[in-house]
Amino acid sequence: MNVIVVGCGRVGAELAFLMSRRGHDVTVIDHVGSSFSHLDPDYRGRTIEAEPLAEGVLEKAGVREAQALASVTNSDAVNAVVAHVARNAYGVANVVARNYDPRWRVLHEAMGLLSVSSTAWGAQRTAELLERPRLRAVFSAGNGEVELYEVTVPDRWAGRTMADLVAGLACSVVSLTQAGRARLPEPAQVLGAGDIVHVAATHEGVSALDRRLGEA
Amino acid sequence: MRILIAGGGRTGATLARTLQAQRHEVWLVEHRPTVLAHLHRELPTELIYEGNPNDPRTLELARIADAQVLVASLSSDAENLSLCFVAREHFQVPRTIATINDPRFAWLFGPRFHVDVAVNQADILAGLIEQELSVGDMMTLLKLRKGSYSLVSETLPPAAPAVGRALRDLAFPRNAVVCAILRRSDVVIPRGDVRFEEGDEVLALVDEASAGELAALFGAGSAASPSRP
Repeated sequence: MNVIVVGCGRVGAELAFLMSRRGHDVTVIDHVGSSFSHLDPDYRGRTIEAEPLAEGVLEKAGVREAQALASVTNSDAVNAVVAHVARNAYGVANVVARNYDPRWRVLHEAMGLLSVSSTAWGAQRTAELLERPRLRAVFSAGNGEVELYEVTVPDRWAGRTMADLVAGLACSVVSLTQAGRARLPEPAQVLGAGDIVHVAATHEGVSALDRRLGEA
Repeated sequence: MRILIAGGGRTGATLARTLQAQRHEVWLVEHRPTVLAHLHRELPTELIYEGNPNDPRTLELARIADAQVLVASLSSDAENLSLCFVAREHFQVPRTIATINDPRFAWLFGPRFHVDVAVNQADILAGLIEQELSVGDMMTLLKLRKGSYSLVSETLPPAAPAVGRALRDLAFPRNAVVCAILRRSDVVIPRGDVRFEEGDEVLALVDEASAGELAALFGAGSAASPSRP
């Protein structure tokens, strides 16, 4: 896959290296040449030192042949404009914009862009680890509005049912793993200490689940 | 007319004052604290909305739906572009005008981002400076009909053949006409008996083929008119 990464700060350099290591043809653009020093020495893709929005620069980076483009500069407006141009002027199929300042997220939404907020996501994950060491988020949907949590059933919950665990909470049980074997959950299933339950939940749902686990 | 200006920097603030003096209904949205401090000294508080103009919620609070025209004069070209796009897509603003800060981005200012009119500040400034530098050289002010006719201006150097002669006595090219003569602070209507003076700024309408002949009459001589025998 031909991939263009716009912006070679910490996120851009990491993304460009990751994609090139996975065997993609990567071109990274940054208007400051010294930014390329963020790249891993083993990065094998192309670098272009140019203003990404100046006429002809995206074309030079191969935007017409690119299947994917990510704009990950630290300007939300630049990311929005690059993503919009890539999608609408050049027809790039898969375009992602980085949301840098969470207050600018609404712009990306208003422009109908697929955006990833590393700032909001990182802060949210850290807050969860601080608040709820019992629950480990293993997957985030969207920008973390719904997450998948891994819960180890504590001793005091042994012998009670799955239905007791989640009754009335904004969460749905995805799977139950007993002795290393996963199965789809049954409400009447009796839990054992050390069983692992995967639960999809909103922030409110997981907070309530965490309280319930602590109470019993 | 009801005009919302986004960005209260030099351009935005000056424009707001000018339009207000012309009795337009103008209001402004700005989020940079240092710029806001200046603005509040220059404009009535009720005309200033605080907030990020690229946030649709701010635009709503700033009554964007009431605006007939949006002027995007932010310091970032990307912000001007995304703002015009959102203004049309989400608020159906009938007319958008955006300033271009960096001419390298000029290619983006157009229908793709719903920019109806783009004002390229650097181009305009360069044009004005070029005009000031052009004593003895013919300057094109405006091209008509895709450039076949031009409105040109020329400031007469002392050596110009026309200096000291009356308009009717000049061997004038067929497809050229003098529109006005700017003499010191006056405008002189070009009639047959008007005599040209050194330093006159002549505005003329001329077609491409006659431009060289005209330059020979009003220019400094051989240097200004290589086409002359």
